[in-house]
Amino acid sequence: MIEIRDLGKIYDTGAICLEALKNVDLDIEAGEFVAIMGPSGSGKSTLMNIIGCLDRPTSGSYSLDGHDISSLDENQLAVIRNQKIGFVFQTFNLLPRLNAMRNVELPMVYAGVDPVTRRQKASEALDRVGILDHARHRPNELSGGQRQRVAVARALVNSPVLILADEPTGNLDSKSGAEVMALFDELHGQGSTIVLVTHDAEIGARAGRIIHFRDGEQVK
Amino acid sequence: MNWLEMILVALDGIWVNKLRSSLTVLGIIIGVASVILVLTLGRGGQQKIMDEMESMGSNVFFVYISQPEDGDYDRYKFSTDECKILRESIDGIKALVPTAYSAPQVQSRRKKENCTVIGTESGFNKIRNITMVKGRFINQNDDAAARRVIVINQKMSDDLFGVGGDALGQVLNVDQTPVMVCGIFKTDTGMMDGGPRPMAYIPINLYLEMNPNSSIYELEGSAESKEQVEKVAQRVLKSLEIRHDAADKHPYMVFNMEQQLQSANKVMSIITMIISAIAGISLLVGGIGVMNIMLVSVTERTREIGIRMAIGAKRQDIMVQFLIEALVLSLMGGIIGVILGLGGGAIVCLIAKIPFTVSVSIVLLAFAFSSIVGIFFGLYPANRAAKLDPIEALRYE
Repeated sequence: MIEIRDLGKIYDTGAICLEALKNVDLDIEAGEFVAIMGPSGSGKSTLMNIIGCLDRPTSGSYSLDGHDISSLDENQLAVIRNQKIGFVFQTFNLLPRLNAMRNVELPMVYAGVDPVTRRQKASEALDRVGILDHARHRPNELSGGQRQRVAVARALVNSPVLILADEPTGNLDSKSGAEVMALFDELHGQGSTIVLVTHDAEIGARAGRIIHFRDGEQVK
Repeated sequence: MNWLEMILVALDGIWVNKLRSSLTVLGIIIGVASVILVLTLGRGGQQKIMDEMESMGSNVFFVYISQPEDGDYDRYKFSTDECKILRESIDGIKALVPTAYSAPQVQSRRKKENCTVIGTESGFNKIRNITMVKGRFINQNDDAAARRVIVINQKMSDDLFGVGGDALGQVLNVDQTPVMVCGIFKTDTGMMDGGPRPMAYIPINLYLEMNPNSSIYELEGSAESKEQVEKVAQRVLKSLEIRHDAADKHPYMVFNMEQQLQSANKVMSIITMIISAIAGISLLVGGIGVMNIMLVSVTERTREIGIRMAIGAKRQDIMVQFLIEALVLSLMGGIIGVILGLGGGAIVCLIAKIPFTVSVSIVLLAFAFSSIVGIFFGLYPANRAAKLDPIEALRYE
């Protein structure tokens, strides 16, 4: 489902030319649970941004679910992010002004889903992550673990082909972290494709496959 | 994303910073309100002047001697007979009478006062809109016999005989000459002369009798219609030049109300435009306020923008979100400004006693202008928001 061939990313600021990624070849099949691991500066965040269609490679090719990402323009990338990818961030990245329900509805707002359907699907997603009874609460009224559940519900709600999680337990205590990881296991069990970026070996071990990165290169 | 939703998002953004938003809106309010106020007062003033001039009669024209080259006023002065000949011979003329002004002391049994006394003929009330309250105006018998009669205005009656006093048939001493009040007419507002004043008319022949050193240097007339005024006045001028053998000396001038009306109108419009342009500057300053606050808002919400982009907002979605926010701010200012401007205009018009009218075009103009200000000054911040790099924006603390 993900096909990456000879992918490179160079940050050229004029003064400094930094090669963040080089010669990356990677295939991820539908339904896989993959962990990308490596120390900071290893290029794993850059790779995640590219997989998440937030950034584009300098060289090589990336195809997601049959779409050749390097050939798409910004608006098409926005649609891909909206329809095909569900993001879960370390810092949750919920909109503080909106309650849990409206945060989960947001991807569907940009997808142009009508309000009634939106409400219904958001409730289903919140129910799926076990936090429907907090639907009216704003992020600052929720615990870290609860916030991350809302974020997972938001990631799920447009039925994406890929869930992309960047250090999802990084800001959580170990109990909440374990709960969130159990949620990922459950989603994986239900057939979701999950790519998880982490530097925590224990978390990485939960995945079916681990890909190591060091200095912008995949460690074979 | 549909429009209603975008507007709700914008309102939410405004609501978060109530104080900041209301101060920004205040800038627009002041701009719009002052433009509306100036335009409303300008229109009211214009209307007032027009009404005033119309009430004198817009068919009116004046003929007078204006500094003849030879300085020989006596050669060019008018006579009542001449006036009569012109009146009967010129096409399109409705009335033409001599007028002469003096300001004698007028005395009743109760009181003395300086009044404007005008010598004229019976046709004068066909030229000016004179509304009789009691009695009659000067008639042809008065003209012919130089009868000792006087037509006074209500103000003069009130001054000399007291409010409610019956002046009709009473005798007044005008420069020691006893004359009888034969009519009382309504006082005009006298806006052009600085308020209502005591004023009276007497037959021109009586006037000349009372002022032996005086002559007739001015004629006042009216045309059958407004359109003919200019032509009729010119015909009178030509005839007079021929009669006085002065075609090359141009001793006479004509002047008509319609001309006066137009130039007054023009001056008034220019003044209104200049003042509203100055008021418009405050609207511009308000617009800069909107831009300033939008830039702050974009910076503060960088992370929000990043999140929205990550979950699928296109650049134009972000752009429209901030544009609508700027537009809502300036339209709110526009609406409140229009209300305050019209309210203030109504109050000032009431105090200054000028007619208050709501001009739809002025209100629409104010709305259009404030929307343009919103879009113009919102465009740069909105564009800046839309151009953010989602990765950078997500990292922004």
